[in-house]
Amino acid sequence: MADILHATGLVKAFGDLTAVDGVSFTIAQGETYGLLGPNGAGKTTSISMIAGLLESDAGEVLVSGEVISTRSTAGKSEIGLVPQDLAIYPDLTARENLAFFGRLYGMGGSDLVSRIDEVLAVIGLADRSDDLINEYSGGMKRRLNIGIGLLHKPQLLILDEPTVGVDPQSRNAILESVERLSDEGMAVLYTTHYMEEAERLCDRVAIIDEGKIQAEGTRRELVEMVGQKDRVTVSGGGDLAAAAKSVGEVAGVSEATPSDHQLHILTDEASSILPELLARISESGGTISGVEVLEPNLEAVFLHLTGKALRD
Amino acid sequence: MSAAAQIAVKDLKLRVRDRSAFIFGIVAPLVLAFVFNLVFGSVFDATTGLGLEYGMVDLDQSEISLVFGGVLEEVEADGILTIENYANEASAERAIEDDEIDAYYLIEDGFGEGVVTVGSPTIRVVGDIDAPTSTQIAASIAQQFSIGVEAAQLGIATTAIMTSSQITPQLVGSPSGDPSSAAFSYQLEDVSAATKQLDGTTYFSAAMAIFFLFFTVQFGVLGLLEEERDGTLARLRAAPIGRLSVVGGKAILAFLLGVISMTTLVVATSVPFLLNADWGAPFGVALLVVAGVLSAVGIMGLVASAAKTPEGAGNMGAIIAVVLGMLGGVFFPLGQGDDLLSKLTFLTPHAWFMRGLADLADAAPWTAALPATGALLIFAGITGSIGWVLLRRRLER
Repeated sequence: MADILHATGLVKAFGDLTAVDGVSFTIAQGETYGLLGPNGAGKTTSISMIAGLLESDAGEVLVSGEVISTRSTAGKSEIGLVPQDLAIYPDLTARENLAFFGRLYGMGGSDLVSRIDEVLAVIGLADRSDDLINEYSGGMKRRLNIGIGLLHKPQLLILDEPTVGVDPQSRNAILESVERLSDEGMAVLYTTHYMEEAERLCDRVAIIDEGKIQAEGTRRELVEMVGQKDRVTVSGGGDLAAAAKSVGEVAGVSEATPSDHQLHILTDEASSILPELLARISESGGTISGVEVLEPNLEAVFLHLTGKALRD
Repeated sequence: MSAAAQIAVKDLKLRVRDRSAFIFGIVAPLVLAFVFNLVFGSVFDATTGLGLEYGMVDLDQSEISLVFGGVLEEVEADGILTIENYANEASAERAIEDDEIDAYYLIEDGFGEGVVTVGSPTIRVVGDIDAPTSTQIAASIAQQFSIGVEAAQLGIATTAIMTSSQITPQLVGSPSGDPSSAAFSYQLEDVSAATKQLDGTTYFSAAMAIFFLFFTVQFGVLGLLEEERDGTLARLRAAPIGRLSVVGGKAILAFLLGVISMTTLVVATSVPFLLNADWGAPFGVALLVVAGVLSAVGIMGLVASAAKTPEGAGNMGAIIAVVLGMLGGVFFPLGQGDDLLSKLTFLTPHAWFMRGLADLADAAPWTAALPATGALLIFAGITGSIGWVLLRRRLER
C-alpha cells in the first residue's frame, strides 16, 4: 500500500517547552496508526502540524505528496480533521453543519446532498438530521464531529481523542465507524490515551511521551520489544503436574507451573498454540474447567518504556 | 460562492437565529432615538417651537417701529414664537400676569424720530419673572434689531456729513440708511457648514444609529474569536480555503449587519408618523452610511485583534463604543469651536458622520457629504489595515 502521510522530524517549541521533538512516522493507505500517550505528551501538537493548523519549527509533513503548511491550501483537501473538542455549530442542524463544511471543501449540488445523506447514515443521525445540534446528546455531537471530518472523503482522517467524554454506546459506535473506514481504504491517524482503543483499532502504534516517539510498531512488535509474554491460566483438576510437564515441551512455552487447581503457562503467543496446550493437558490426565488468556498490553509496554502509567 | 462569502452566509444565519444582532442593530437604536427625541428634541430644535409667547405695545406707530413689528411677524411665521399686539402697557402687563405671554416689547412714542435724528431710541423688553429664558430670548431679538438700527444710523450720519445735507426721511429710505435692510441682512446671513445643525429628530435618529452601529458590527467581527473559543476555527483553518477567507467572512458579515441596521434605521425614522427624520440627499446619506459602517468594522476589527476572548473583546468594544460615542456627541451635541473638546470630537467617526449629515441639511446636494465620507474612510483604512494584519498573524501562528 502507498504511504499517504509522511511526517519527518517534526519539532515544535512553545517558549522553553519543546512540545514535539523530532517526531517522524508514516501511514499507508488503509492503515490505522495510533499515537498513544498521556495528556501533554505532544499528540495534539503533532496532529496540529500534520493538519496544517500549526507551523512546525522544523521538519516536514507530506500528505499524498503535498507539503502541508499553515500558509498553503495544498494537500488540505486530502485531510479530514476531527478535533478533540467539538467543532460544530450548535445553532445549525446536522445537515446545515455538513453542508457548510462540504462547501468549504469545494463540494456542491446533488453530489453534496447525496454525500451528506451517506455520512448521516454512517454516523447514525439520519433521523435527526434536521434538528438543531444544541438538542443533541453528547454522543450524537461527537458522531457529527466525526461525520464532518469524513464528509469530503479524505485520504487521511485524523481523529484526536474522539471518544473523550462519550458514553459507552456512542464510543462503540465511533470505534466501529473507524474500523469500517479503515476497511474501506482510508488512512487513519488516531490519537488516544485509552490503551484498549489503540489495541482494538490500530495496525501500528507509536508510544509518545514528552514530545518524542519512544517506540513504534504493531502491538506484537511493541510487546516483544519489551520482552513481555502471554499468560495462560488453566483452571481445573486431575494430574496438573503431569500436564505441566507435557505442556512445557511445546515450542514457544517458556514456563508451565502447576498450583492449587490451576496451571500457569507463559508463552510467546498463546492464541496460535492454545488448542495444542489444551489437548496436552487432557491427554496427561488433567481436567479443564476454565481458561484465561492474558496478553501483555500496551499499558505494560508504556509503563516499561516511560516508567509511568498512561493515565498519569 | 467564495469561502469568505460562505462563512458570512453561515454567520448571518446564526445571527438571525440568535436575534441579538436584530435587537442591537434595529430595535434598541430605534427605541432610544424615539425616547431621546421625546425628552431632548425640543431643546435644540428651533423649528418645533419653544412655546415663546410675546406681546407688542407699539406706541410710536412710526415707519421704523412697524419694521420691527414686521421682523417679529416673520419670526412668528417660522413657528419660533407667537406675537400678540396690545394697545397699551397696562393690557400687556395683565397678559403677563395671566400667563398669556412671557414678555412684551414696548416701543415708546418718538422711537422712529430718534432713529432718524441719530438719537437714542429704545425698545424696552418687559418679561415675566417666572420666564427668564423666554425674556432673555426676547431681549436678544430686540438687541439684534438695535444692531441693525445702529448700523443704519451710522450710514445716515455718514451720508449727511459727506453731502452736507439735512437728514430727511428720504435719506433714511436710501440703501445705506434703511434700518430694516440692516435687520434683514442679519436674518439672511449665509449659514456655513460649521454652524449647520440637524433638527432634533434627525439628530437623535442619526446619533443612535451610529452609536449602536458599533455594537452591531461587533456581532460580525467577534465571530472570529467565538470560532476560536468554540473550536470551529481549527476546522476552518484545516479546510482548503485561503487563510484570509475566515477574516474576510467576518468582515463581510460585520459590513452586512451594519448596512442592514443603518438602512433600516434611516428608512424607519424617516416614516412621517414615526419620527419623520430628514436625513438629506439619499445618495449622500448612502455614502455616509457605507463609510460609517466601514469605519466601525475597522475599529471593531482592531479591538478583536487585540483581545484574547470574545467576552474580553465585547467588553473592550463596548467601552470604546461608549467613549467614542460620548466624544462624538451622540448623546448631546458638542460645540464646534476652537476648544480642545471640539477638536477631540473629530477624532471620532461619530462626529464625522453627524457632521456629514449636518452638511446635507437644508437640501444640500449629495456632494456636501464628501468631506465627512472621506474622513470616515480614512478611519476605516487605518484601523482596518492594522486589525487585518494582526488578525492574519493570529491565524498563522
